[in-house]
Amino acid sequence: MTPQADLGIFVVSVCAGLIGSLAGVGGGILVIPALTFVFGVDIHLAVGASIVSVIATSSGAAAAYVRDRMTDMRIGMFLELATTTGAVTGALLAAVVAPAFLYVLLGVVLLGSAAMHVARLDEEMPPAGPPSRIAAAMKLSSSYPDRRLGREVPYTARRVPLGFVLMWIAGVVSGLLGIGSGVLKVLAMDGAMRLPMKVSSATSNFMIGVTAAASAGIYLGRGDVDPRIAGPVALGVLAGALIGARLLNRVSNRAVRLIFLPVLVAVGLETIARGLGFGL
Amino acid sequence: MSPQRFRLMVSLVLAVGVGISATLIGVGFVAALAVGWQGSLIGAATAASTPTTDFGGLTSRLGILEPLAITQLGLLTLLATPVVRVAASVVAFASEGDRLYTVITLMVLAILLASILLLR
Repeated sequence: MTPQADLGIFVVSVCAGLIGSLAGVGGGILVIPALTFVFGVDIHLAVGASIVSVIATSSGAAAAYVRDRMTDMRIGMFLELATTTGAVTGALLAAVVAPAFLYVLLGVVLLGSAAMHVARLDEEMPPAGPPSRIAAAMKLSSSYPDRRLGREVPYTARRVPLGFVLMWIAGVVSGLLGIGSGVLKVLAMDGAMRLPMKVSSATSNFMIGVTAAASAGIYLGRGDVDPRIAGPVALGVLAGALIGARLLNRVSNRAVRLIFLPVLVAVGLETIARGLGFGL
Repeated sequence: MSPQRFRLMVSLVLAVGVGISATLIGVGFVAALAVGWQGSLIGAATAASTPTTDFGGLTSRLGILEPLAITQLGLLTLLATPVVRVAASVVAFASEGDRLYTVITLMVLAILLASILLLR
């Protein structure tokens, strides 16, 4: 890598970290195409760098999100039971299932979700109500301090069984296809469980780091993590995530949705392209 | 310990961990500009033929201050932070007296460690 290329990778990574920490996704959708198409990096090394980028996004924003009570640790841990077991199932299924069809299916689901997301764009806060029996038993109700609104916002998880199943599917998909784990998590929490968008994003941000850490060993062992590329990516993403984590609490939920939407559409299109055989 | 104080402590631990990894990655990168990725900051003889993606022999390569090894240690520190965070959450829930979530988080930690050990 030339110093110019290093700088370019760093700048792209700052953007990935910024968008990723605000939208609750890993930023692979930005990092992988930029590395392969613009900087001519081998796809395996680009995927290895993207795993590093996911963990950097998650860890870089974590300190601020934990301090500011943006991440719901209980909801995150409860759902992490579903994603981790799903990921193991996905890794086992990978030997049996032909993924091409699944890519297309996932892409269609994501684009359908994007349409539903557009319909929710102007909704600043999901409707309030008493917690369900499962939410009460599992302590899935809490509140977060919204600096934009200048008040403490209470919330409770709706449709918990549906959310749990969707999270399991998110785990299977990331174990099987290695893509879209962040967008599916945000969709499950925002769309199905009706958590405030910022809480969905910050909690997804925490969860994707755990999911990625579980599989990081595979990529290290395979020789897919080249420090010459992953180093600048990690530094850039960390810087971007630190900025994003400071912004999340100050922007509106609508703004977070507007940042999430193009990521959702891009991942949907990319997934369909991959399934049809002309993607990355 | 109050939930708020614990949160601040976890937040500090995370910030320090991320700071250490970013420093190591940054120092390794700058050092690579000076002596090359597989050189040595103390001028020791190096085995430059190993691929840069190989994380093996890290301690001996750190001993000769190889830029690549310094960056690799930084990346490993970064990759370990989510695990540390889950482990810290176990302590957090336990200190709040939340048995349900101490158990749930322990289960997540167990699945996480198992998949790190098994999926290699």
